[in-house]
Amino acid sequence: MTSGTAGPRDYLLPDDDDEGAGAVAAIRSRRHCATDSLAREHGRFYDSFDWALYQAGAALEERLADDGHGPRQLLWLDLCGGTGAAGRNAMPGPGQVVTEPPGLLQDLPPGPVRERLAPLVGIRRLLPLVEISAVVETLRLLNDDDKTVARVQVLRQRFRNPDSGVEGQLGTRLRLLPVRGYDQELADAAALIEDELQLRPVERPLVLEALAAAGRRPGAYSSKLDYRLDPDQRADAATRMIHCGLLDTLEANVPGTRANLDTEFLHDLRVATRRIRSALSQIKGVLPDQVVADFKVRFAWLQQVTGPVRDLDVYLLDFPELQERLPVPMRADLEALKTFLLSHYDEEQRRLVAALDSPEFKTLVRDWRVFLDAPLPREPAAPDAARPIKAVADERIWRMFKRVRREGRAITDESPAEDLHELRKSCKKLRYLLEFFQSLYPKSDTRELIKQLKVLLDNLGDFQDLAVQAQHLEETAVQMHREGAASVDTLLSMGALVSTMLSGQARARTEFARIFQGFDEPANEARFKSLFGGGRPRGSRPSNSGAEGLAA
Amino acid sequence: MKIVGVYSIKGGVGKTSTAVNIAYLAAAAGWRTLVWDLDPQGAASYYFRVKPKVKGGGRALLARSQAMDDAIKGTDFERLDLLPADFSYRNMDLLLEDVKHPTKRLGKLLKPLADDYDLVVLDCPPSISLMSENIFRAAHALLVPLIPTTLSARTLAQLGDFLAREQLDDRLRMLPFFSMAEPGKRLQQEVMRQLPDQYQDFLQTIVPKAAEVERMGLRRMPLPAYAPGHAATRAFQDLWRELAAAI
Repeated sequence: MTSGTAGPRDYLLPDDDDEGAGAVAAIRSRRHCATDSLAREHGRFYDSFDWALYQAGAALEERLADDGHGPRQLLWLDLCGGTGAAGRNAMPGPGQVVTEPPGLLQDLPPGPVRERLAPLVGIRRLLPLVEISAVVETLRLLNDDDKTVARVQVLRQRFRNPDSGVEGQLGTRLRLLPVRGYDQELADAAALIEDELQLRPVERPLVLEALAAAGRRPGAYSSKLDYRLDPDQRADAATRMIHCGLLDTLEANVPGTRANLDTEFLHDLRVATRRIRSALSQIKGVLPDQVVADFKVRFAWLQQVTGPVRDLDVYLLDFPELQERLPVPMRADLEALKTFLLSHYDEEQRRLVAALDSPEFKTLVRDWRVFLDAPLPREPAAPDAARPIKAVADERIWRMFKRVRREGRAITDESPAEDLHELRKSCKKLRYLLEFFQSLYPKSDTRELIKQLKVLLDNLGDFQDLAVQAQHLEETAVQMHREGAASVDTLLSMGALVSTMLSGQARARTEFARIFQGFDEPANEARFKSLFGGGRPRGSRPSNSGAEGLAA
Repeated sequence: MKIVGVYSIKGGVGKTSTAVNIAYLAAAAGWRTLVWDLDPQGAASYYFRVKPKVKGGGRALLARSQAMDDAIKGTDFERLDLLPADFSYRNMDLLLEDVKHPTKRLGKLLKPLADDYDLVVLDCPPSISLMSENIFRAAHALLVPLIPTTLSARTLAQLGDFLAREQLDDRLRMLPFFSMAEPGKRLQQEVMRQLPDQYQDFLQTIVPKAAEVERMGLRRMPLPAYAPGHAATRAFQDLWRELAAAI
């Protein structure tokens, strides 16, 4: 152990000494030590909604010393994982003094903690997940000069979930803290605690114990699709499973979207909506026709009412980058656009909240959940409902692949933009299908296919998004002009931006042929064929209906 | 990571007690703080009950960055560490002459500590030397204790001239303040009235001369740790607040 890397070690106190008095007395009788006055500390653990810190093996604590009157500090903790002492204790990393609780990265002053957070949390807000209040009794182990060489703390702690208000007691911990440069003394103290006092190391770091006690499940939310489907499962059952997961994601993002905690809530909500719509239309012949038709319309409404705020979000997130595309002297002229967008933001957000509070939305979510939770019909009307999901998935993916290939091959340098838009839609459908059903196939294969599809999608996305953005920017310019919100210079800078967008679009167009060729390689087709193309053509497949029985 | 040198051309002006008390208050305010006791006399190390000894001495510190890491000792106080003095520091100028870029060595040595500390307080030996030039180049601010006498005014002017001559004054803030002041003395009153106007960054805090401060040597700990309510403690708290605002 080197002096720089030794972290605190936590031990559990036995049930008959849950206040730690016995352990403290035992240490005092065996070692030369001093006792500090009791201290009260308040801490809060933070993570983003998608558990970015936890997923990276880290945690963030905001600590208020001196019963809340002391400085406010952010402390980085590494949850090293692994076994042994390393896995049970959080290793303290850098700290940073702040004046405000953490929230969005952009509001956090520069410092070592911010530097660590930046690549992980990005634009997500740090949310307080559990609060800890502790009464800390500190014993300092001293050498012959009365110099502190190690610290032993007894931590009596309570937790509280700031959202639900649930609170309670946590197990009392005895914590051994190193003093830098006194490794041997630390080892002696550890031996005293482990061998003489026979205390057991804790199972997991405090942050994880507190999160669990507060009813939080670290890592529970992810916007990624991760289903474990059984290939022989009935197609309607598997499809409902997929839809249940998508609806869970959608609903999980409603409170954060309403409160506009960060822009990713709305984004994830919209992605979930788009996936639901795609699953409704692309997993054909599995759910009842009238159900599909009804919910397609209703989810399309949701997609539409959530659009305006997302458009503003995208603009504002991209704003620094848009500004950089302009020559330096023009950049300041673009500020009026930002002001204009911000002035419409509150109104659009209010409308969005009203939509999410509306009976339309509430009944949509409720009705869809009722349908998904209802027992499976014994004799479903939809033709493919009772077939194994793997067979349905094979067919759907193979057909969509062939469609993408056909549409892509038909595109020439002279093709109109609409053809590329159509191709993009088909590619997206193919991608969603691959993602919905990836657990039915070898992971490395689907991952590779999705990766390759993404290259093509990025190119088509550049082409279309730049065109849409350019058009949107032109419309915004007209609107700003009408409202007297733009000077001539601002309008000129927006015009210059439109022209960079259009030339970017032209560039994407020239690259299309080469990128599509990469997708249309024989090796790629072979991979698709071997994974999904083994089934019989649709017309000759056996059906689950009575016809098969009759034929036999 | 901010680097503050506590520096005086003259000895006996309350330099070490300033370094130790300021560092203590910074740590108490949440800053992860390192005191580097560069004075071969090792008074700061003594106050923190750490032996003034570095394995391999100054030569090892200059040669290997790991030596620095190994030499750092935690103090009795949370977030407050010490890099102890060593008797070999008295020959530091000779050692520095042998290295590349001898005036920038100290800054280079401190760089790897940027992740570990928010503040480094250098308790500097008195005199102008190769060592002090290193400090001027590494530090963001120089805290300069002055006993309010005419002689002090002269040494401050000398320091200011030196920094200007070496063109160090545009990135290094010189922050003088009155230390060991006895406001009852007429002559001191005169100096305290006139001198601050001549310097842009003269701090307002006046640290009084007090027997309680001298007792740091007996108590072997920072003043605020054993005399939290004392007038001198309050003065150091003011001084820390002014310093924190300046850096």
